[in-house]
Amino acid sequence: MNRNTPVKPVDLAVRVCGLRLKNPVIAASGTYGYGAEYRRLAPPADFGAIITKTVTLAPRAGNPPPRVFETASGMINAIGLANVGVEAFLRDKLPGLRRCGALVIANIAGNTADEYARLARRLDGAPGIAAIEVNISCPNVRHGGVAFGTDPRVAASLTRKVKKAAKLPVIVKLSPNVSDIAAIARAVEDAGADALSLINTLYGMAIDSRRRRPVLGNVTGGLSGPAIKPVALYCVHQVCQAVKLPVIGIGGIRSAEDAAEFMLAGACAVQVGTATFADPGAARAIARGLAAYCREHGFGKASDITGALHK
Amino acid sequence: MTCSANPRPAESQTAVRIAGNRRVGAGVHLLRFRAPAIARAAQPGQFLHLLAPGMALLRRPFSIHDIDGDGIAILYRIAGQGTALLSRLRQGEPLDVVGPLGRPFAIENGRPHHIVVAGGIGIAPLQLLLRRLRAAKLSPLLCYGCATKTELRPHLRVKRIVATDDGSCGAKGFVTAALEAALDRYPGAQLYGCGPWPMLKALAAIAARRRLPCQVSLESFMACGVGACQGCVVKAVDGYRTVCHDGPVFESAAIDWDQEPVV
Repeated sequence: MNRNTPVKPVDLAVRVCGLRLKNPVIAASGTYGYGAEYRRLAPPADFGAIITKTVTLAPRAGNPPPRVFETASGMINAIGLANVGVEAFLRDKLPGLRRCGALVIANIAGNTADEYARLARRLDGAPGIAAIEVNISCPNVRHGGVAFGTDPRVAASLTRKVKKAAKLPVIVKLSPNVSDIAAIARAVEDAGADALSLINTLYGMAIDSRRRRPVLGNVTGGLSGPAIKPVALYCVHQVCQAVKLPVIGIGGIRSAEDAAEFMLAGACAVQVGTATFADPGAARAIARGLAAYCREHGFGKASDITGALHK
Repeated sequence: MTCSANPRPAESQTAVRIAGNRRVGAGVHLLRFRAPAIARAAQPGQFLHLLAPGMALLRRPFSIHDIDGDGIAILYRIAGQGTALLSRLRQGEPLDVVGPLGRPFAIENGRPHHIVVAGGIGIAPLQLLLRRLRAAKLSPLLCYGCATKTELRPHLRVKRIVATDDGSCGAKGFVTAALEAALDRYPGAQLYGCGPWPMLKALAAIAARRRLPCQVSLESFMACGVGACQGCVVKAVDGYRTVCHDGPVFESAAIDWDQEPVV
């Protein structure tokens, strides 16, 4: 190419359930706090959207430590949805996030279906929240969490309740700890969800053989990081073939190539979590790298990657 | 009055080259690199989150041992895969550094005495504290305990009391016992400590009994290092606190000392 030919700009913006994201890279819930924690190292404005730490109706202390441990190509966590509760979130955390100019998606979890509905109703009127992500896939809490995400009928019923309670777009976050994730996805789609995000962490455990004890205070936890990427890609591919809803891919993404793989499998956007711990600049690098990937492969815009997998 | 700068210095992510990384004792190494912005901003008790080539995924937190001009020194003991890998790195190899992070020691100028209590590798964050106390003309006393005299690390020339488990240097026994024996001569002292949990627990008990203020530096497994993931918590009297952001320096009275963490 002639050195003087201007490089055609790539449009990185994507649309997910009516929202316009300036790039397809979203901060995954639980890995980015409420945004302020990373304001210098990984500014909220670098992301297409950020998803807050799960909020519950009442504050939660979380699980006893240790809560995190590195495993082969991944990490295992059992935080236990430690959070300040929805009222403190709205009062103390959200205003700062709004000032950053980030598109904010609030992640919610409840002990009962009614709690999910109440949370959705409470957040629905709050200025500065663009969508709700429903966590029916947390492996680290005794009540609720993944219990709502393993039975298609239960997941559908919960989705209906949340949809009824909120006008905001509703994204349902799915667990890989099921025998047929496509069946859950179809049920949630039929119940009116606006988008799906997947996968949450895989059940996991670490044992300290020297002490003959489980490593985590909670005994079991959820596995994330590069170790789960092939599982996540498989799930995204399966679900994208089963539903028409937009799908957000999650699981071990730490490079633009990883992100492109999820989009080729059918995802319209991706979430980055564990990679931010290792490299706070990961999201920015992935967004830039996606632009380079588009140029290299002749995609005029990032959204053209979605589903462009050769059969 | 507190002279510790407030608000905390801004953290950044910086690529550096290792200037030196040598063994300074059995299983103990000293890592050095230049990082002008961090060297200017960092306060004693703060830590750096390091990513070295070969580390599979997560960073490792290390307290700042010392600062000399633009140079940063990290003192570490090989305790697991991350530190073993770090110990094999040579001069010129790259490091990715995030920091300075965490709540630093607050230097309380108004106190008549300043006593710094170190246990073993717990000397790591206390060297810089000693340096700053000395620079502020607060003539700190160092109480330094370890298993045997060959484990004692070189440190600043300050007044000191040494205790070893085997009696090979200084008093035989725990450093907290040596501290207790000396404390009557230092009424109203500000205490600072870092070391194994049982030592810090004993130190906290002494501070509570004598009604002395005491700041301790704690450690934990970490993932984010900035207070986002809630992964590194310690049990405080009023709930869980993140070691990375609410700490690593805590008032000893704030910690629930019956909840020993696994590190």
